[in-house]
Amino acid sequence: MNCPLHDRETAAQLLGYCARKLDSESQAILERHIAVCPECRKFADGQRAVWEALEAWQAEPVSADFDRRLYRRIEEDGSWWDRLVRPLRPLVRHWNVAASAAGVFVLLAAGLLLNQPPAVPEAAKDTAQVEQVQPEQVEHALDTMDMLADFNRQVKASADAKM
Amino acid sequence: MGGATAALDLDAELMLRVKEGDGASFGVLLDKHRSSVVHFLFRMVQNHAVAEELAQEVFLRVYRSRNTYEPTAKFTTWLFRIATHLALNSLRDGKNERLQERLDDDSNDMPVRQVRDSRPSVEQSMVYQVRLDEVRQAISALPEKQRAAVLMHKYEEMEYSQIARVLSCSESAVKSLLFRAYETLRARLAHMA
Repeated sequence: MNCPLHDRETAAQLLGYCARKLDSESQAILERHIAVCPECRKFADGQRAVWEALEAWQAEPVSADFDRRLYRRIEEDGSWWDRLVRPLRPLVRHWNVAASAAGVFVLLAAGLLLNQPPAVPEAAKDTAQVEQVQPEQVEHALDTMDMLADFNRQVKASADAKM
Repeated sequence: MGGATAALDLDAELMLRVKEGDGASFGVLLDKHRSSVVHFLFRMVQNHAVAEELAQEVFLRVYRSRNTYEPTAKFTTWLFRIATHLALNSLRDGKNERLQERLDDDSNDMPVRQVRDSRPSVEQSMVYQVRLDEVRQAISALPEKQRAAVLMHKYEEMEYSQIARVLSCSESAVKSLLFRAYETLRARLAHMA
């Protein structure tokens, strides 16, 4: 077999071997390899030493009043937590209904926003819209008006003559 | 969800009963997992009083979440995810040291190292103590995630896949974490063979 140490994925097998977590077949294959591979043997010896050292570290027993303290906290917690969560509980229980309602609401809101009439541009403010008019333009406009007035008079005169 | 329900572990079934209002089932879960959670947290934060405080918070959160509990993963995965999250936060907050300062005067709350031999000689006790301190220091010198991975792998005997779910990472990331962690530990502890 290829040396498992050359790949981190397969090196995990060696960890399993040292922890005796492999099935008997894999355990036997690695055992045969370790017998001929000094690198893996060094790894396995070191790992066994670590394993034994860690086993010596025993945690102390849990305090006798652990449960009593916990249940007291649960009781205290329940009083304010329930008050806080009670109004939301029906929503939590029927979360699918609540989620559907929320979805419908979001769709309606989106629909209303999208169907609004096009925004009316703000009314132009007179003060901001004063155009600068040149005297020549005024003069030209007055000439045009005079010309139109003359034209009207001539049309009226010719009409009267025909009658 | 149907498949997951069919393959429910006993703990998840108990938790579903808690969800239905069966307080006794919570007691069963507490009995079953109290020690492993406290011990895991103790090895993470290396302070017994803080570990018990955090373990209380773990079970309180489990109880609080009963109404929304869904057995989407193994119960212990969920339990240790809460425990790891609280331990990592505690380590980052440095809460551990602050509480330690307050507890310094109360020697009864300090961790009592168990010695397997009921009547060890003074010399044996000292040797044991030195070795234990070395182990503790080697573990506490590991980066937090590596530490959590080693503790779950060694003491809780979790599979790589479960550790991955607890730490929210891939299985190959867990293998890599463990490989690096044990590499460090071998360098520090191999002489203890």
